[in-house]
Amino acid sequence: MSLFKELQQQARAEWEQFSQPSRPRVLIGSATCGRAAGSLEVLRAFETELEKRGLKAEMDVVEVGCLGMCYAEVLVEIRGRDGKRVLYHGVDPRQVPRLVESHLVRGEPLLTRALAVMDGTSLDGVPSFDQMPMIRNQVRVVLRNCGVIDPANLNHYIARGGYSGLERALQMSCEEVIEEVKASGVRGRGGAGFPTGLKWQFARKSPGDVKYVICNADEGDPGAFMDRSVLEGDPHAVLEGLAISGYAIGASTGYVYCRAEYPLAVERIQGAIAQMRENRLLGKNILGSDFSFDIQLKKGAGAFVCGEETALMQSIEGRRGMPRSRPPYPAVAGLFGKPTNINNVETLAAVSAILEKGAAWYAAYGTEKSRGTKTFALAGKINRTGLIEVPMGIPLRTVIEEIGGGVLAGKKFKAVQTGGPSGGCIPARHMDIPVDYEHLAEVGSIMGSGGMVVMDEGSCMVDVARYFLTFTENESCGKCVPCRMGTQHLLRMLTDIAEGHGTSEQIETMKKISDTMMKASLCGLGQTAPNPVLTTLRYFEDEYRAHVENRKCPAGVCREIIRFSVDAEACTGCRACIPVCPTEAITGELKEVHEINQELCIRCGSCRDVCKFDAVHVE
Amino acid sequence: MTKENENRRDENSMGRINLTIDGQRVEVDEGRTVLQAATEAGIVIPTICDHKDLSPFGACRMCIVEIDGVRGYPTSCTTPASAGMVVRTQSEELRILRKRILELMLSGHPNSCLVCPHREQCEKYRPRPTKAGRSTRCGFCSNRDECNVRTLALAAKSQDLEIPTLYTSYNLERSDPFMDRDYNLCILCGRCWRICEKIHGVPAISIINRGKWARIGTAFDKSHVDSGCTFCGACIDICPTGTLTDRYARWYGRPSAETPSACTLCPEGCSMLALTQGKQLIANRMEAFSPKSSLCSLGRFAYPQVVNSTERLTRPMVREGGELIPADWEAALHATAELLRQPGRKAILAGESSTREDRHLYSKLADALGATLGIVPAVSGGEGLQPEGLMAGLKNGEIQTVIAAGDFLDDAALNQIRHLVVVDCLASTASESAHVVLPAAVLSESAGTWRNATGAVKTVAAVSAPPGEARPEWQIVSDLAKVMGLDGLDYATASEITSEITGDFAPQPLSANPRFSVRNLPGRFRGHFLADTVRSLEAFGLPSSPHKAAEEIAADGFLLLEKREIIPNFHLLKIQAPPVAKYAKAGQFVILMARETSERVPFTLVDWNPEEGSITVIIEEVGRSSRELISLKQGAKIAHVSGPLGLPFPIDKQAPPAGQGSAESTAPTNGEGKGTVVLGGGCYGIGAIYPIARALKEAGYEVICAIEGCNEHMLYMENEIRSVCHDLLVATKDGSRGTHGGVQEIFTGLVESGRRIDFFIAIGCTFMMRMASEATQPFGIPTYVALNPIMVDGTGMCGACRVSIDGKTKFACADGPIFDGHSLDWDELFSRRSAYSREEIEALPQAAEIVTLGG
Repeated sequence: MSLFKELQQQARAEWEQFSQPSRPRVLIGSATCGRAAGSLEVLRAFETELEKRGLKAEMDVVEVGCLGMCYAEVLVEIRGRDGKRVLYHGVDPRQVPRLVESHLVRGEPLLTRALAVMDGTSLDGVPSFDQMPMIRNQVRVVLRNCGVIDPANLNHYIARGGYSGLERALQMSCEEVIEEVKASGVRGRGGAGFPTGLKWQFARKSPGDVKYVICNADEGDPGAFMDRSVLEGDPHAVLEGLAISGYAIGASTGYVYCRAEYPLAVERIQGAIAQMRENRLLGKNILGSDFSFDIQLKKGAGAFVCGEETALMQSIEGRRGMPRSRPPYPAVAGLFGKPTNINNVETLAAVSAILEKGAAWYAAYGTEKSRGTKTFALAGKINRTGLIEVPMGIPLRTVIEEIGGGVLAGKKFKAVQTGGPSGGCIPARHMDIPVDYEHLAEVGSIMGSGGMVVMDEGSCMVDVARYFLTFTENESCGKCVPCRMGTQHLLRMLTDIAEGHGTSEQIETMKKISDTMMKASLCGLGQTAPNPVLTTLRYFEDEYRAHVENRKCPAGVCREIIRFSVDAEACTGCRACIPVCPTEAITGELKEVHEINQELCIRCGSCRDVCKFDAVHVE
Repeated sequence: MTKENENRRDENSMGRINLTIDGQRVEVDEGRTVLQAATEAGIVIPTICDHKDLSPFGACRMCIVEIDGVRGYPTSCTTPASAGMVVRTQSEELRILRKRILELMLSGHPNSCLVCPHREQCEKYRPRPTKAGRSTRCGFCSNRDECNVRTLALAAKSQDLEIPTLYTSYNLERSDPFMDRDYNLCILCGRCWRICEKIHGVPAISIINRGKWARIGTAFDKSHVDSGCTFCGACIDICPTGTLTDRYARWYGRPSAETPSACTLCPEGCSMLALTQGKQLIANRMEAFSPKSSLCSLGRFAYPQVVNSTERLTRPMVREGGELIPADWEAALHATAELLRQPGRKAILAGESSTREDRHLYSKLADALGATLGIVPAVSGGEGLQPEGLMAGLKNGEIQTVIAAGDFLDDAALNQIRHLVVVDCLASTASESAHVVLPAAVLSESAGTWRNATGAVKTVAAVSAPPGEARPEWQIVSDLAKVMGLDGLDYATASEITSEITGDFAPQPLSANPRFSVRNLPGRFRGHFLADTVRSLEAFGLPSSPHKAAEEIAADGFLLLEKREIIPNFHLLKIQAPPVAKYAKAGQFVILMARETSERVPFTLVDWNPEEGSITVIIEEVGRSSRELISLKQGAKIAHVSGPLGLPFPIDKQAPPAGQGSAESTAPTNGEGKGTVVLGGGCYGIGAIYPIARALKEAGYEVICAIEGCNEHMLYMENEIRSVCHDLLVATKDGSRGTHGGVQEIFTGLVESGRRIDFFIAIGCTFMMRMASEATQPFGIPTYVALNPIMVDGTGMCGACRVSIDGKTKFACADGPIFDGHSLDWDELFSRRSAYSREEIEALPQAAEIVTLGG
């Protein structure tokens, strides 16, 4: 029996036991999102409670990755003695004794805390997981194992099809593997969308004895956490993809460049690499083939620009992370001057699935030019924040309204920002575009790595642009003139406008500077840094004009030019706003109309947030 | 064609490619960049960060081009030329992009001089930049004449900048030896750290921080001394701006000659280029930007400071009656001959740092005199003297007549030697106890050859004039032989000697190469501690003789109540000086001395408070004395404050001041029956017009004030001045605020607007006052200027400050400082003010940052 068959057999046996309906089990979503919400405390509470009741031996408590429903963390899936699997949300350690008592001991799921039923059925008004609006439109390829398996368990991964893609690839020629990836139509998920198979082909054809492959795990966009979730929830999917890419281009060393700010991802990668080495999935003659390959983890220090491929390679080499001009492209002269292929986490996780299930399966999803699926991190003023994976070409409206559940607190949708600091703002009128590379570019934004920040009528677009420029101004590496100086000037002008002393000339100058940056900056950071300015100007120029010409912020955000006042009609004199005001600017007796002292008011908006009667107006 | 020829043709054609640039067919070697290909074809593409000795970097983005089939605008410096490529270096789009990129670059670099309407006139009257602390503009920048950014900007003729200048306000860094660094000028081309990496492998500097805080620095912002920097100076020499400068050489201006030579300070004997201006050596530089050509900090920086040391021996001296008395060469040589004719054993001690020719003649002289020739290793203080036993002979009194060509003898030997002749360049305990001292021309003053530790013989070029009467050593020996009647030692040039030299040995190499670390630097030259002459070397731990620490600030004197830098390079000092405050009047000045040993320097009174007993002055750092003052901290004492000096501006008389000029009495123009006066201030003059404006306003004049600055960041005291005038107008040389130009444009504009002006007052630099006076002359409106010539006593005694008014000599201190600008001989004032420019440069402190006490 082949080495891999043995591995598979062993893995399946373990998975079977894990999935055995008769054995009660508790899965706790413990990726960073879960941990931030307190999952480790919940985990300890379960362990203590089961210990106390003497149930520890008959039940498993397992940490799993993220299901993507970050808004509902801590998520706990409990399988009772009857095999019924119920997903609980917002779990708190204090509720654990009740959950154990009710579901695990008495066999009665605690329906008041339940979010969904996991096994395709529903239960007294608790929907089936697959039918939830957030889930039913998703196709989970990259996220196939996240929240489902124990990410620290290699057997779980293998049992669910893991490493059969690598095993299959090793039986193909390198060229055949590249053809397979080309046929799948997968494009680089790091943002630029370059066809992955073609990129591999360049590196394959580039002459050289020593070649490298790199996994770019330096996810840096504010509000983006797709890569982190995959690495935390299913590290092997990425590492398998990296090994396949190494085989395809003829590399014997791979690097994973992961930011040190992702400690859990780093831990998972380190653990997974060790498991791979132990099981001949890395090292000499992988799975008994002629292919020898090893992976090293390199921790990045968190500079945004190190996500740029040439800067990333400089950083691995031990130099300051600064992009360099191309050509030569990394495929010709990359890491240490050798031909190098670099792919993003998500791309590699898709590659392992493509090799497992075939190019045609993958290519069946998506559109003509944008094949497959894409993960997005939903954030901002949206009801269901979280991580999703959808087929390319899905209407933007479906993503926002169905999957994301629409704008928070019933406010009006204004725009969605995609692509992070390099992307743009898409206004409501383009809500029906399909989400793919071409259509996003058409409306002035980009796919980017997958950040989606939703804005409502309370978001000021000047402020949004200013926020992103603050980021790029700080994160510009400083090497090339247009980016280093351009971001500073754009930010200063946006600040002038937001503070009410901007001019119409500045708007024109911003356009010129943006144009120069796009055409003359060295790397993608500088070339795309003006996008937040340009798209907000394109769709919301009237908002800029209001700031410049009338010194008004229509959204009521820009502190220097807004003013809070109490609506005498609506104010009930409840005094709720008085204690929350940090500067004691509000006065008023009970049941009398309150008043805001404009001298003291710092326009923080706390009073407006706390007012139940919409009596605080901003102008 | 034979096979061989065919092969040769193949070799020749192999590796050559053809491409088209601007329609021109260009053939270049494969592997060249598009920029190199264009340059070879004589096509100029602008660039800053590219340098022939560095690999491509692509930071400045000025060299963008269009290439058929290539998306966007690739940089030609980083794009490899390939066969069949079609490149365009000029197009409307490229022109606009380059203009905007340059504008972005200039927005992070002081640029006002580049867009100033007065630039050409200014450079005519001020051919050398001002020795400012911070360089806030080209006129204050020591690299003005060699600046690539400036060249590019002037070539682009871009006069109106659309985007504001962002001044970063980094501290001026002077706490490391030998180099001043002003990162406010840095455009981050990266040449410095790239050359550092090329030469040293691991660079001591890199870009640190990110975004707008990105700048060049060391790891963890350590001092350069602690960073592994070897002080080879390559970064300074390759910097296209004035960011990195050689503290010693910077203000001498562009070198007039570069001569290949060799350093003889240690057995490495590195080849180098000697940079001179006229007959003065100002710096040495590595021959090429390559690792094997690098220099250590002694060769690069210390060497010229040894040569130009004010401690050099300049005249022969002969001991008479217990004292060394200056003598002429004739007398000194005869005295030497007399000593050498004394009976007893004799020795000649020569150092290995002297040229082979010098040592050869010492050797011949020793043979002729029957003396023992002792050779001292180049970096030794007498240890290691060969032959062995010679030092013992000197210490036990066996040898009593000695010629010592350096500081090689300790007290034990000096006590025994009865007849001592010292041939040397610097004073020492040996020269102080010698019977005859003969001043030697050394290093770059004496031509010859030198064999280094590898055995290579290198040429030492004589490029600088020896100080005073100093002569090369071989010449001293030759002249001495003539006096003594010795044969075979008569040479007219060093090269006549060279061919005679046989069998000289290579010196022993040092155990560690000084080029690799400042910790390996040898401490001595001709037996002298190098750090005694070049104090900066103490920072590297080099030994020196016991000496007083940095000159202490005054223990007694006038309390410095407040000191702050109000705008870059301009400092406000508030000083406790009750008598001055009590009697001060508008237009008067004080003379300050930071320390007891300081120069006396006049400063216009900006404000005073008789109750508090305080006075206020504005000081611009432009040289040693102003730097001493601004280096004092709040709470320190200023040694001397004299004043108030000069005549006050005659506020109450309607006639012009102090009997100068011939202004008509002013006709009433407002209710109070006085007139309208316009005061213009620039630089320190912004502060100086304040008290005069105040006095004029109080006296009932209608007062208009005009202030100018190179840009909007360089204006100050606006609110104070606004409170003492009826109208405040602003001009900037870059047009960033108010009138684009200076005070003269405002003056002219006011007159042309039809406004009745009774008289003008202009206070600022000499150039500004001259321009203002010339602008108002055609209108015949009196214009008064507050002159700032060189002053010493400030009371009319010395005459240093004399100026010519209508051909009559006046003293600015006692008859002024305010005079009629239309009657003044400006050319004379300019020339008198620059009379000591060389000495002013020489006086600049070379040690790392003056240490200040107090506070």
